[in-house]
Amino acid sequence: MTINSLYFVNWWTDTLIIGGLSIITWVALLAFHHSDTQPIFWFALVLSLVVNYPHFSATVYRLYQSPDNIRQFPVTAWGLPLILFGAVGASFWQPDVIAPYFLMLFLLWSPYHYSGQTIGLTMVYARRAGFPIGRRERMALSAFVFSAFVCGVIRFQQNGTSGGFTDFYGMSIPAFPLPDWTEAAAQAVMWTGALVFAGSAFVWCLEQKRLMPPIVLLPALTHFVWFVPGASLKSFWIVIPFFHSLQYLLIALVMQLKLRIDVVGGEHSWRRIGAEARRWGMRNILGGILLFIGLPAAFSWLPLPLMTTAGILAAAVNIHHFFVDGVIWKLRDTATSSALMMNIAEFAGPGAVDLARPNVVEA
Amino acid sequence: MREAATAAVLAVLAGPARAAEVSPCILDPAALTPREMFLAAAIGAMIACGVTSFLLAERVTERTHAALAALVVLIGGFCLFTLFGLAGREIPVAGSLVLLGLIGLFKLMNLFEIRRKRSLSDK
Repeated sequence: MTINSLYFVNWWTDTLIIGGLSIITWVALLAFHHSDTQPIFWFALVLSLVVNYPHFSATVYRLYQSPDNIRQFPVTAWGLPLILFGAVGASFWQPDVIAPYFLMLFLLWSPYHYSGQTIGLTMVYARRAGFPIGRRERMALSAFVFSAFVCGVIRFQQNGTSGGFTDFYGMSIPAFPLPDWTEAAAQAVMWTGALVFAGSAFVWCLEQKRLMPPIVLLPALTHFVWFVPGASLKSFWIVIPFFHSLQYLLIALVMQLKLRIDVVGGEHSWRRIGAEARRWGMRNILGGILLFIGLPAAFSWLPLPLMTTAGILAAAVNIHHFFVDGVIWKLRDTATSSALMMNIAEFAGPGAVDLARPNVVEA
Repeated sequence: MREAATAAVLAVLAGPARAAEVSPCILDPAALTPREMFLAAAIGAMIACGVTSFLLAERVTERTHAALAALVVLIGGFCLFTLFGLAGREIPVAGSLVLLGLIGLFKLMNLFEIRRKRSLSDK
């Protein structure tokens, strides 16, 4: 196995994008943080234009770019937007009665969705490293990740609410009430899951007589930082969606390259990779702007504050994304799983393919 | 014994039945609260999903039927959430139950319209 075969790009890029950058940011904010979160908020907003918004657009683009996808997933492609359109209509109609629950649903679903991505990334890197994830490891990993999510929900509410309400796009969303013992219970499950998973990893290391590549554990460690210690730092959780989106875009780019370049007769070169990445990137930036700025602007005639309209539409776009993501990224799907085992250099040419092809060991 | 059981059931149901008699919403649909109107619309959406599934019987895959059923669960789940989402403010344990219910809902939605192992119609 070559050293590149573990990574989508290389050690540095994968490590930084999958979690290194967010952990460095957390440490930096912990060291230099002060109470004024406004500069970070504006910085995150600018980053949203080039990372967060395109990450939603990338999902929409992936689903709707091919008529085959639409035919294959008709309920996701057509039925779901209709239902969400109804929920958005109800929220516009009753911004004080229905909208707060719609937004609460989104605010709870969002960290759950991040948890799903963490498990997916761990599975991908484990498969690349040849670490088999069986039923026990999967359960331990899920226990760790989803309990961290529950801890995060509790801590976000403790630190992000004022008078029992969370501010979202200028709207007051009721905090989700949970009993005091919930966090202790979630932590107990989380550490049990961590111990069992670490035990399996340790046994594997002994059997293989080699260390487990850190990238396999990095998604879970990053998730822990986001939702347990990081959730107490308001300036940090403003930027968590950016890091989640960054992880997503790396994988989505490789998938896009696989679809566009790794086809019969496709030109394999770095020039082509660059051109395709730029084309895909620009389309998604434009798509993101349309989804998060254009769509609220189109509904600005409503007798509601523009921020309320934007918040409700953002929640709908997010929920649509959670569904579509679940549909298009199933590892059981052969096309998806083969793309998720590739290194970007494989698209550059046959020579590069030989150098960087992952030594795949089926989990 | 049978008469006694019937009498007990009637006695239990008498209260709610009387409450229904005086409900202003029955007399005047315009008196429905916004939340009730939303629930009515949601029930309509659930019926639409069911009818769609029924009309498409044997024309679409089992996966599509399962996805339509999942939509019904989503709409129903959201309705219950609008009714009991903040129950934890009064009863702390209810907050945990609502969270568990939501996690179950998210998990189910994570399986939305994916290929199933035993899907005969997809083969």
